[in-house]
Amino acid sequence: MPKHKPKRSAPSLDMTAMCDVAFLLLTFFILTAKAKPQETVTVDTPSSISESKLPDVGTLTILISPEGDVYLDPAGSHARKALIETMNATYSMGLNAQDQRKFVNGGSFGVPMNQMAAYLNADAADRNRFPKGIPIDTVDVNKSELANWIHQARLAQFNYKKEMMAEGKEVSEYAIVVKADQNTPFPAVQRVINTLTDINVNKFNLITTQESDPNK
Amino acid sequence: MAEIQEQGGGGGKDGKARSKKMSTKVDLTAMVDLAFLLITFFMLTTTLSKPNIMPIIMPEKKDINEEDLEATKESQVLTLLLGGNDKVYFYEGITNAVLDSTDYSAEGLRAKILDKKDRVKAEWGEDEKDDPKNPGQKKMVSKLNVIIKPTKESRYKNLVDTFDEMKICNIGRYVMLDISTQEENFIKNPAGGLQFSVEDQLKAAKGAEK
Repeated sequence: MPKHKPKRSAPSLDMTAMCDVAFLLLTFFILTAKAKPQETVTVDTPSSISESKLPDVGTLTILISPEGDVYLDPAGSHARKALIETMNATYSMGLNAQDQRKFVNGGSFGVPMNQMAAYLNADAADRNRFPKGIPIDTVDVNKSELANWIHQARLAQFNYKKEMMAEGKEVSEYAIVVKADQNTPFPAVQRVINTLTDINVNKFNLITTQESDPNK
Repeated sequence: MAEIQEQGGGGGKDGKARSKKMSTKVDLTAMVDLAFLLITFFMLTTTLSKPNIMPIIMPEKKDINEEDLEATKESQVLTLLLGGNDKVYFYEGITNAVLDSTDYSAEGLRAKILDKKDRVKAEWGEDEKDDPKNPGQKKMVSKLNVIIKPTKESRYKNLVDTFDEMKICNIGRYVMLDISTQEENFIKNPAGGLQFSVEDQLKAAKGAEK
């Protein structure tokens, strides 16, 4: 009697579960990638061999465009909220609660204080028509808008840090970060650096792209 | 890849017309590959978006003492004047300074800095300092002091490249100061010599001359 070989079908694996897991992971990564609000100005930073990474939280970014215009971007909604409330009160910018909320949710900004209300209420197309850059007064640092913004932003973050420390949470102070374009003329950078040293900020960081170290 | 199995067609012997039921199986391997590729992409782009930084520490305006500046020997000082069009001018010391120029390439600026560093080492030796990376051990640090003075024609990239060279050439002591009118004239007229003294350098460092 001929022996019947047991019928073997080709092994097949049901991949449905694997596919589910893969898409779950994908969804997780897509959601944790934070959506950046539109950058007001594109900056092409120079390269350096430095390998220090940008600190995760608590950065006050000073953007300098190739034309020399200065934009500010304080991170953290708590500090931004406190900042805009203080600035609105101190400099009578005339912002209502809705404008302030727009500021908190926005990205970098670069308009003179008296134009801030109109800027926040304008849509993306109109925003291009506003004067670009935060004014810097090189003669009197107390009147310099940039100096006042930076000082108040640092203060807002410092107060937030104190509040969080009372609750036992760790929050760092602002790390000042300068992001300027390769072709930004030096006088524009010098004005920003002088503003910083005038308000006693002597430690800051420059954003660079990676360059290979010739010594290695 | 996909399999189609026919069932129910075998029951046609009954004479009743039965429609062929087909069940399909789709092989999901390709779908999973795609999903993992997308995951890898998103994982990498969120970490790549963190840019690198170069920490800068500026001297406090009031901190500069007379003793600090005068104790440095003239022959240990190299002054770099960052000019326009990616050109670097430099001179050594202060008295009888001769202006030379170079570019930002490895053979240009880096070669000149390393050359000056070697000459300073030959003449003055090196300093011994505590090594922050290996506590308890000392490392040799060059006595060379570099003063970086950018002109208004230079661009930001020049400044960052210069700071980068400081790191590459392992220069421990360097500072960025404002350029003076005497040095600006020196660039325009190198043959005229540099009328710049240590007191002028001090005043510039303290920011008294704006």
